[in-house]
Amino acid sequence: MSVKVLSLCDGVQGLFINNARFNTTLVSFNFYMPTNKDDVASLGLLPFVLTTCSEKYPDFSRLNLKLAKLYGAKLEASTEKVGDLQLLKMAVSVIDDSYTLDNESLCVEACELLMRLIFEPKAENGEFCAEDVEREKRKAIEHIRGEMSDKRLYAKKRMLEEMYKGKAYGISKCGTEEQVAAIDGKSLYSAWQKLISNAFVRVNVISRALPAGLFANITERFSAVERFNITDCTVCEPTRKARAVKEITERMDIAQGKLSMGFSSRMHGDDSETMPLLMASDIFGGGPYSKLFTNVREKMSLCYYCSASSVRIKGLVTVDSGVEAVNAERAEKEILAQLESVKAGDFTDFELESSRKSLIDSFKGIEDSQSAIDVWYAMRIGTDEPLGPDECVKFLEGVKRSEVIKAAQGINVHTIYKLLPEEKA
Amino acid sequence: MKKTVFESPIGESYVKAIHPSGLQIFIMEKPQFSSSYAMFGTKYGSIDTRFSKNGGEMVEVPEGIAHFLEHKLFESEDGDAFTRFAETGAYCNAYTSFDRTCYLFSCSDKFFDNLAILLDFVQKPYFTEATVNKEQGIIGQEIRMYDDNPGWRVMFNMLRQMYTNHPVRIDIAGTVESISHITAELLYKCYETFYNPANMFVCIAGNVDADKVLDKIGAAIINHEPVEIERGEFNEPEGVASSYVEQKLAVSLPMFCYGYKQDIKTPIRSLKTKVCMSLLLEMICGDASPLYARLVRDGLINDDFGSEYFNGHGYAAIVFEGESNDPKRVAEAIGEEIKRLREDGLDKKLFSAVKCAMYGDAIRRFNSVDGLAGQLVECAMCDFDLFEEIKLLRTVTIDDVYKRLDLFKEENAVLSVILPKE
Repeated sequence: MSVKVLSLCDGVQGLFINNARFNTTLVSFNFYMPTNKDDVASLGLLPFVLTTCSEKYPDFSRLNLKLAKLYGAKLEASTEKVGDLQLLKMAVSVIDDSYTLDNESLCVEACELLMRLIFEPKAENGEFCAEDVEREKRKAIEHIRGEMSDKRLYAKKRMLEEMYKGKAYGISKCGTEEQVAAIDGKSLYSAWQKLISNAFVRVNVISRALPAGLFANITERFSAVERFNITDCTVCEPTRKARAVKEITERMDIAQGKLSMGFSSRMHGDDSETMPLLMASDIFGGGPYSKLFTNVREKMSLCYYCSASSVRIKGLVTVDSGVEAVNAERAEKEILAQLESVKAGDFTDFELESSRKSLIDSFKGIEDSQSAIDVWYAMRIGTDEPLGPDECVKFLEGVKRSEVIKAAQGINVHTIYKLLPEEKA
Repeated sequence: MKKTVFESPIGESYVKAIHPSGLQIFIMEKPQFSSSYAMFGTKYGSIDTRFSKNGGEMVEVPEGIAHFLEHKLFESEDGDAFTRFAETGAYCNAYTSFDRTCYLFSCSDKFFDNLAILLDFVQKPYFTEATVNKEQGIIGQEIRMYDDNPGWRVMFNMLRQMYTNHPVRIDIAGTVESISHITAELLYKCYETFYNPANMFVCIAGNVDADKVLDKIGAAIINHEPVEIERGEFNEPEGVASSYVEQKLAVSLPMFCYGYKQDIKTPIRSLKTKVCMSLLLEMICGDASPLYARLVRDGLINDDFGSEYFNGHGYAAIVFEGESNDPKRVAEAIGEEIKRLREDGLDKKLFSAVKCAMYGDAIRRFNSVDGLAGQLVECAMCDFDLFEEIKLLRTVTIDDVYKRLDLFKEENAVLSVILPKE
């Protein structure tokens, strides 16, 4: 796999990731905007409206029929958070021309289709069509309301909202139900104009060969737009240590409780600086060799799942677990005790090396999945030379025990969120 | 070992071999990939609750025992398999479904070390009363976690109304009560019946050399006399117990599963039927279909809507699922669309487009080693050639698909709904 980074125009980068193992081409437009509460909902809705209709395909049935004819080309739309930025993604994946039954030229057509969706939306007089906006608003509201159905994700979301209250990272990636309800065709159109003019854009192309003329076409599209106030992707506020630990307990009519914990750390930023944090968090609660799995789950049988993960850009570590209400206090104490043992360097060489090998193995596997490669590079912005998984493997190989302990010592509990069953009267 | 090479028109190939013990081995070399994915499985799942071995007495075992056995097999007298895999850095896991149990690993390095661990721990059971008792706690928590999972509950509530006797109606993990009856002795009884190499398969895809892999597997398989397994018959009656079931859970929007039970005469569906059903479902409610457009426009479904041809040994149903403010209206609309298609016939343009899309999807699957290993498992379970689907898609006709509309019987439909609690 090789990666070539090209500056296409102001604030627009093209990444050609040459990878011969796939029989499909993935082209992914990643738009980065600052997360702010006024725009988050309308920007968050845009990828979904844009990928369901356009000037050329005014209704989604015609668009979906076209995609089916392109041998089931897949359109993807999503809204994510990357540190303090909101990432709006629109992508297309299509099988390579050599697999078609009648030598059709799919790839160029699919790329053109995606660009038409992004740059030629179905709009009149500076407004998106009300029917399209209302349809996608309804789905977005149902999605927001539906987040409570998956109790594990819901508990983590609530924990992060509390932990980052009043900060960009605490804003829900799709906004609130009320914010979505307030969107109309006009406000959505002005969000689209902002997106096209102000977003930092990275286009990832993962394929055997760069589709002919693709980057030139993208440059041409953006050249027709006035680009200004382009998002600065180098800024991200690190997670500060809590003055006092925040503890929240909420109740719901459920059978099993959830415990979600957030921790600050002193390490954040680039891969080259944060590998010790990744290993500390992994020894704490990564694989089956970790402290949380072997002790809290296996030895003490306190929860069916209990694991930790880290977000390097924010310097954040999280733990989530499913616990019976009667065990919640004990599980919390035990999780904190296990963290203390990592801080004290109370882990064996077996644990250290198991973590290193497991992380290296998973990094090496990233090159085997187009979507994992896309996510990898979408998360590494603010630089013209994003590090690849192979370079991170080298950093991991060099991490010393003392560095892991130092990283662990910077981890401090910040927020403890419990979602417990209703108390019986 | 007898070896056959299967080749496809799209330049992919795989090897199938049968070990003298009867073990089936499938290997697809993908030298461009960094990683490899291996699965060691048995044709034994949650539905195998009644069976006899070598013509002996029919025995009945507690619900959830196949899943329980899967958990316990990771343990041995001197540690667990997780610890052994931790030494190589591989990812390992296992799963139990209705008709199979699979143990798997994925790795980018030390493939043969990992393969040796996989083949070893699956062939060496170690069950004691003490370890069985301890596991009851963890699995009990897993079961309770599923009690809160509306997607899981809505499906099993439907299956319970659909099937009177067939064990597809029971939760894969059983219940807290049923697993309390599991003993080490029962686990050994199930293991010795179903974990015989003649009832098992190894499926591998990735950066491997098939001949070397076959040599290693050949040397590692412990030879046992093949067993003859008779699976209990469940005399599943035609028809369903009830056409509607609901439950209240902590959800924001009602969830539904709407299924048509298929009355079947033989336990296994042909690949052609599966392919035709997939095409038909795309034509009924796929995202380019008129019904899908109508349901979205009327605000009755969202992006969680989907359909599947749910089938396995002795059961088959056509299932539509999703979230809706009005599941009953969605079910009615599906019924009306099936009626309309029966009367008007299928749209030729849509048929050709969904066939094209399904061909593209089949090509796309060769992009992932884990997906390929999973498909090879299907080949082992259902005894078909991996490339058969691509060949079938070139020959299947609109009439073949139209005929499958007969499988939808109104009187066999069940609507299961999860309603929000107040």
